[in-house]
Amino acid sequence: MPAVNASVRAASIEVKSLTKRFGAVTAVDDLSFTVEPGRITGFLGPNGAGKTTTLRILLDLAAPTSGSCTIGGRPYRDIPDPSRHVGAVLEATNFHPSRRARAHLQMMAIEAGVASPRIDTVLALVGLTADAKRKVGGYSMGMRQRLQLAGALLGDPSVLILDEPSNGLDPQGIAWLRDLLRHLAAEGRTILVSSHLLAEMAQTVDDVVIVSKGQLRAQGPLSILTARAQSSMRVRTPEVDRLSEIARGAGFAPRQLGGGALLVDGATPEALGPLIASNGVVVHELVQVSQDLESLFLELTTSMTTRDQPVPAVTR
Amino acid sequence: MTTMPRLVRAELFKLRTTPGPWVCFAVVVLLTGLGITTSFIVGQHGVVHFTAPTTTTQLRRLMGAGYTSAIVMAPVLGVLCITTEYRHRILTATLLIHPRRPDVLVAKVLASAVWGVLMAVASFVMIGAMGIPLLVAEGGSFSHLLRQVGPVMPGMFAAYVLLAVYGMGIGTLVRNQIAGVILALGLSLVLEPIIVAIFGSLAHMDVNFLPTRATQALAGSLSARGPGGGAGGTSSALLSWWLGAIALVLWGTGTAVLGYFTTFRRDVT
Repeated sequence: MPAVNASVRAASIEVKSLTKRFGAVTAVDDLSFTVEPGRITGFLGPNGAGKTTTLRILLDLAAPTSGSCTIGGRPYRDIPDPSRHVGAVLEATNFHPSRRARAHLQMMAIEAGVASPRIDTVLALVGLTADAKRKVGGYSMGMRQRLQLAGALLGDPSVLILDEPSNGLDPQGIAWLRDLLRHLAAEGRTILVSSHLLAEMAQTVDDVVIVSKGQLRAQGPLSILTARAQSSMRVRTPEVDRLSEIARGAGFAPRQLGGGALLVDGATPEALGPLIASNGVVVHELVQVSQDLESLFLELTTSMTTRDQPVPAVTR
Repeated sequence: MTTMPRLVRAELFKLRTTPGPWVCFAVVVLLTGLGITTSFIVGQHGVVHFTAPTTTTQLRRLMGAGYTSAIVMAPVLGVLCITTEYRHRILTATLLIHPRRPDVLVAKVLASAVWGVLMAVASFVMIGAMGIPLLVAEGGSFSHLLRQVGPVMPGMFAAYVLLAVYGMGIGTLVRNQIAGVILALGLSLVLEPIIVAIFGSLAHMDVNFLPTRATQALAGSLSARGPGGGAGGTSSALLSWWLGAIALVLWGTGTAVLGYFTTFRRDVT
């Protein structure tokens, strides 16, 4: 993989109390989060959660109703030559089909004031050197994604903002993207990436920002968030009410799941087992719930009642 | 390098790497050729002859043979300059590199103007390559034609430039490419003649400030029919050339400024 310039200046992304309304619809609702340099942050949420709207506001393509977004402490429009500091992939349709891939990058390079040799560097970086003279109209979705990424890397930016960058990529392409992002993050760059591919995100990201209905549901290092979620125990028992009371008395927060099952958040087998035995509760099943990013995501984004739920924001 | 030259270079690069502007260019050459041909068709005593133009008016029609292409294709080129960005969502890439939108709009105005100049050059090259040999072959006077360069050529260049900017303004207003092209052509070829006819017949008013009429004033106010057989009107009914130029500048900048405040500042989705 060709080396990219390592002399990058780290810059954090900060979103503060961001709200965006489209008429009666609130797409982003008082959203605040921070993205740190040197880490890959996954921006996750179901369709219509406000991810793309947030990214567009961050990149000054849309105006917020209220709140602010800054990159390195500045609004995007106030960053001199922003493409030299921030690279973005928003969607794989921003091409003229009759223009050749190299010409597309050349067009961007002229506007950004980037020297032509850099075009060959980024084409090699995304593996499109052999197809650079082809018209983009003949490109596959995956090739377009690679070309978008090449455009984002043209200015050798210290911040990368990628909206669904793995769309259309084959498994090899996804693995390649993962390695590339890891490589770029290791150089100290700030990387914010939104995606629906949770399994892939789980392998790629260091931190997550989870949003739903425009609101922040969770933010923090993925390892801490999932580790905390892993401490739940599911118990199937004919004495649900009695065990709930016992668990509550021991300082846990049990939730009845129906069907004689109880979920005891924050409990471990070592803590809950003796408690059950000492109280002589009959149990049919005792399972440590092994949660991953997907289950955490689903837990935080389904059947939410918005403001009445606390936002689990954790720090490293 | 400062920002604006970079932006203009990028806009020019965009135009030359897509087929639309080249099609406009080809049509300019074609229409100019047609204009040259018609300037040799002279009617006398009810009989049509193909003969060398001899009168001042006829020679100016030959020199202004690109008039129709200016009226038709320069605005279309301007429309393409901006609406292609919306149609293929390239505006996102443009604004990510340079988020200050007024600068982008100014760069597009300047790029449209440069392509206007190139179209004018193509038109006059065509006159030189086809019109002059034809004139000489038909026994016309080359020196008499040269005398019409001064009165016609600067105005024609200005007309191409300003009409391209006017088209850019229309494109900024409507954003949709097909609607922009239809609007640019419809205004010049359909709506303006209707307005001029209505005001002329009902109110006995000369509506001279509309783009096509202003172009006639700028590019050939001497002509009773307008160079190249343009729409009607007598020279006395047209604005003076400099007022025509001001009118076109106002149409171009007015539509662009209006487009900026009504559509160009909107969210890019």
